[in-house]
Amino acid sequence: MFMWDDAFMQRALLVALFLGPMCGLLGVFVTARRMSFFSDTVAHAALAGVALGLWFGFVDPTIPMILFSLVVAGAMLWLKEQTDLLTDTVMALLLSGSVALGLVVLGMLKGFRQHLDRYLFGDIFSVGWTDVWTALAASVSVMTLIFLNLNSLTMLSTHEDLAHVSGIPVKRLNYLFIFFLTVTVALSIRLLGIMLVTSLVVIPPAAARSLARNLRQQIILSLLIGLLASGGGVALSFPLDKPGGPTITLTLVGVFFASLAISRIRSNWRSGVQEV
Amino acid sequence: MACIPLNLIPPPKAIEVRNLHVTLGDTAVLRGVNLDVPAGQVVALIGPNGSGKTTLLRCLLGLQPIQEGEVRLLGAPPGRDVMRRIGYVPQRLSLDRSFILSVREFLALKLSRTRSWFWHRHRHTDHQLAEVMTELGVEQFLDRPIAGLSGGQLQRVLIAFSLLAKPELLLLDEPTAGVDTPGEHSFYELITSIHRRHKLTVVLVSHDLSMVYRHATWVYALNGVICCEGSPEHVMNAESLKMAYGIHVTPYHHHHHEGHPHGHVHVG
Repeated sequence: MFMWDDAFMQRALLVALFLGPMCGLLGVFVTARRMSFFSDTVAHAALAGVALGLWFGFVDPTIPMILFSLVVAGAMLWLKEQTDLLTDTVMALLLSGSVALGLVVLGMLKGFRQHLDRYLFGDIFSVGWTDVWTALAASVSVMTLIFLNLNSLTMLSTHEDLAHVSGIPVKRLNYLFIFFLTVTVALSIRLLGIMLVTSLVVIPPAAARSLARNLRQQIILSLLIGLLASGGGVALSFPLDKPGGPTITLTLVGVFFASLAISRIRSNWRSGVQEV
Repeated sequence: MACIPLNLIPPPKAIEVRNLHVTLGDTAVLRGVNLDVPAGQVVALIGPNGSGKTTLLRCLLGLQPIQEGEVRLLGAPPGRDVMRRIGYVPQRLSLDRSFILSVREFLALKLSRTRSWFWHRHRHTDHQLAEVMTELGVEQFLDRPIAGLSGGQLQRVLIAFSLLAKPELLLLDEPTAGVDTPGEHSFYELITSIHRRHKLTVVLVSHDLSMVYRHATWVYALNGVICCEGSPEHVMNAESLKMAYGIHVTPYHHHHHEGHPHGHVHVG
């Protein structure tokens, strides 16, 4: 197919294929631990990271973006431990504070609109080979570490105290999980943008939930849905002449409703068979 | 060398708590708790809401920092090594229904510390679970998600999970909360039979006086401090319970069905 001859298309597709399954896999535990809003906050914090990075003269603000997101994730944990504030309140505070800081700093830079659009809505077709290798390295390391810690992570998602009594270092694993999630979300912003990045973490496990009968099936399906929807979204966006990020999210939403329909048809068919 | 007659050797202690103080916020929840639980007993920890039952349990499990005092489980302070010898049954799992961990997968988490449950074959898992599945009667819901189990079924699964590690001490936090009365009855029967068969020390945090009366071998009444302790017959009298609950609580022992005593509470 002619469109794959272009290097920017190849790079976009590779980044999508590396990040999609990583988000899908991590998403199973993010949704189980009710941390969707956490990933949204971390994503919005990245805007301030990008702004500060550009302001300090970084050509590629990926590193300051990840660092600032990690600072905000740390601040979230600290405020939660040190105050009686509800988690939602802490997240809303940091989310709006980061966006406001990002907008103020970006407003002082030239090309304000262009930077804002690129990070708010994603710009998958502008990724370079460095982004491709970063996505590959992140994907391989995060997925390997998740599979190596699957027993502990599953236990942690089931009951923290029970995990502690089972000899799992709960605090250390919690920090490790938050680190993975923050890096994953920050890197995926190039693919989907701040506004939509949570969809790649939350929708694959939700769609997989309708079809799966146990956690193993949910993990496998969520990973595959992440892979296919992000790859498919990029592949569709070019011929349709639509932006990459929203196309991936719409593909995910489509997969979600299709899986819901399949699950309904399957259960109706089963109850029909039982009645006969 | 002098020999000590066997009957003079004190029985080993499952739990020792010395002068335990815990303050949560501005409230002194535990104010000098002392406990000595001999091994092999079914111990009930009773007390009104806010008496510090759950806080004491969390201290035993090493989940709650203590301001003053000392806790020892099976002769050692609560740490990772001693936790391997302890089974803990929480009150409930606040699981999201979107997390569809099946009962089989949950139990498989306990089978191997290194090899992930993800790679286990069902047949292999079931073979290793066979004994505990039969004992607890959990075979029929192995494929069901644990988030969808009833209170009683979940308690059985949680006990099965604990027993897989062959614990010496089993700690249960309000195990019958959310379980209906017939369920409660069979649950305590199950605890008694597990205690007998596995020769465990069982510690139950409970508000259910009648069941405690029937099934515990030793009772501690807690209200910030241990108000009284002793055999159920000794502790479950109006005077002792009033000390713990601060209200008039009368265990009455009428004989219906199989002549089991019951307790009731009335504010006086």
